[in-house]
Amino acid sequence: MIIFSHIPFIIAILLYFTSSVWSIGHIIKPVFFNKTVGKWSMMMGFLIHSGFLIFLGLESGNIPITNVYESFVLLIWCILFVYINLDYLYRLPLLDTFLVPIVTALSIWALTFDGGNLLITVSLQNFWLIAHIIPIFIGYAAFTISFSLSIMYLTQQRQLKLKLFGPLFTKLPSLAEIDRLMWKTISFGFPLLTLGLVFGTFWVKTQNILGEQWYLDYKVVLGLATWLIYAALLHMRLVSSFHGTKIACLTIAGFCLVLFTFIGTFFMGSKHAFQKMSTQIHEEF
Amino acid sequence: MSILVVGLNHKSAPVEVREKLAFNASNISTALSLFLHRYQSAETVILSTCNRVEMYVSSLDGAVKTEDILSFFADFHKIALNEFSPYMYHYADDRAVNHLFFVTASLDSMVLGESQILSQVKEAYTMASMDEATGKVMNQLFQQALNVAKIIHTRTNIGKRKVSISSVAVEFAEKIFQEFTGKTVLVVGAGEMCELLLKHLYEEGARTIVVANRTFERAQEIANAFQGQAIKYELLGEYLAKADIIISSTSAPHYVIHTDQVKDAIRHRRGNPMFLIDIAVPRDIEPEIANIDNVYLYNIDDLQSVVSQNIDERTREVEKCRSIVEEEVEHFMARLEEMKIEPAITLLRNHFHAIGKEELARLKTKLKNIDTGDWEQVIYTVERTINKLLHHPAKVAKQEAKNGGGYRYVEIIRKLFGIFHHTDHS
Repeated sequence: MIIFSHIPFIIAILLYFTSSVWSIGHIIKPVFFNKTVGKWSMMMGFLIHSGFLIFLGLESGNIPITNVYESFVLLIWCILFVYINLDYLYRLPLLDTFLVPIVTALSIWALTFDGGNLLITVSLQNFWLIAHIIPIFIGYAAFTISFSLSIMYLTQQRQLKLKLFGPLFTKLPSLAEIDRLMWKTISFGFPLLTLGLVFGTFWVKTQNILGEQWYLDYKVVLGLATWLIYAALLHMRLVSSFHGTKIACLTIAGFCLVLFTFIGTFFMGSKHAFQKMSTQIHEEF
Repeated sequence: MSILVVGLNHKSAPVEVREKLAFNASNISTALSLFLHRYQSAETVILSTCNRVEMYVSSLDGAVKTEDILSFFADFHKIALNEFSPYMYHYADDRAVNHLFFVTASLDSMVLGESQILSQVKEAYTMASMDEATGKVMNQLFQQALNVAKIIHTRTNIGKRKVSISSVAVEFAEKIFQEFTGKTVLVVGAGEMCELLLKHLYEEGARTIVVANRTFERAQEIANAFQGQAIKYELLGEYLAKADIIISSTSAPHYVIHTDQVKDAIRHRRGNPMFLIDIAVPRDIEPEIANIDNVYLYNIDDLQSVVSQNIDERTREVEKCRSIVEEEVEHFMARLEEMKIEPAITLLRNHFHAIGKEELARLKTKLKNIDTGDWEQVIYTVERTINKLLHHPAKVAKQEAKNGGGYRYVEIIRKLFGIFHHTDHS
């Protein structure tokens, strides 16, 4: 069952991988690595990915976040979902070249989280859970995109500094354009993150799921730190109209924190979600 | 039917010769009509730009020869033949077509791959066709030439990379700022190169222009030309932080813009990028400035090396273009052969129908009392027979013509049916 449930996702990963190879290859050998192949394999992968999530959801009767693996798969889906919409709206060239490899890497990483034996400990039939998780996931997705945008920014910036004018230089958009979209994604993700955190706080206060000292939970602390980093970024942009490499570096730092909050806390034995092996739960019951 | 080109260009002739043979907008019509008056069966297009003067002529069975065109040049411009004929080149038929395709695709230009020649060829052709100097052959030839040039520009990189200092600089500025509306350009010094760059930026939308120069009057002059603002040279430091793009080309023997000033400026600009172009020799801008975050400094050598790289890139593309041109020349020559046979087939048809009519007239006198309906049937049968007889030979001749045997077939048809006289009359 577990192996079967991996197969569609593995196919999706292979398609994402093909898309990455094609979109990177397109820079060097545009004739051989046709852009449309890259685009369509990503789209196909996304469709299979969506189908897989629906399958997981129907099977458990919940949104697919019952374990680390499922929620990782859902997060990656959110990243692509936000990207596809963003691409439709702004059409920034080469964003896929930077984002799809990241998505591929995250997907492979997600595969390493064994599905099934790490379970969430609260009831999933809960309004607060949805209200807490969905905005945060979409916010995280937006931050992932701003992360790949900041890598694009730093790449282009480096090429301009070092005077390397290869095909990558010609194809990458201008600094101003990347900066503008970076700002857009952050200012889209931030309110959602805030909303998710606020709902989470309500939830923890009303139902007391993390105990009395909920605010000392790793995930809560790190979540707050993430929020602060992005708040600082927005403040720098809005109030002081800051631009340039510092913003890009800070965005990268923000994303690292996002990733750490999402996955890292699990290794630290956070109380917050997924902390128990299924066997333990059975024992408790 | 033959196609000839006679002309000279920047490679074959010095400017002193080229200017003597050049045509301008006012005398080109006269030249076209004089030439057509002299050679009535001919079609012609005159292409005259600052780098080349060429005359494309097509005539039936080579009625116009290279010497005729040369002497036309001599007569029209009233210069002796030997003064310019050593500089002239001439090509016939497929080589002439090849030449035109090469020229139009900008493979024969001084700046390889520049796009101006395309519009010049288009203009020359429009001019000739408005003066009714072109016919079936020249129309096809020039339309195809323009087409081929477009194919080459889309399929190869011949015209993609920029090959002038100012366009390269503008390209880099675009990679930083995307667009120039609302951006401030600060010009320090007033060299010619500076003005060229400024003109380029202005065309791309830069409207806030500040000029600083040792002699204030000269600064004012440039500022006025671009609706900018001239400032006193001493105030330069104050304006640095406001400038997004700085172009410097003073003749000062020392640095004019220093690291501390730019560091200060970038702090005020809160990381908004600055693009500095130093086109002065000796340099105006302290090279250490390049190490400051969000500051992009380019000097004349940086730009020049990109320009020469891009030129190399274009040169590498020529082979690809050449093979496209060769292919297209082949197509065109095949179509030309097909066109050659068409008049011969028309003649043949007319010839047969004339015989038919003659015979019908003879028959009419014999069958005096035939009623109208029956007579129409007779006419119909005769015409139908002729058409049926001609259908197959016409088809085969057209097919064969495509393979290059057109001329031979025309000859054979004429010989077989004895229609020499008709040809001569037409």
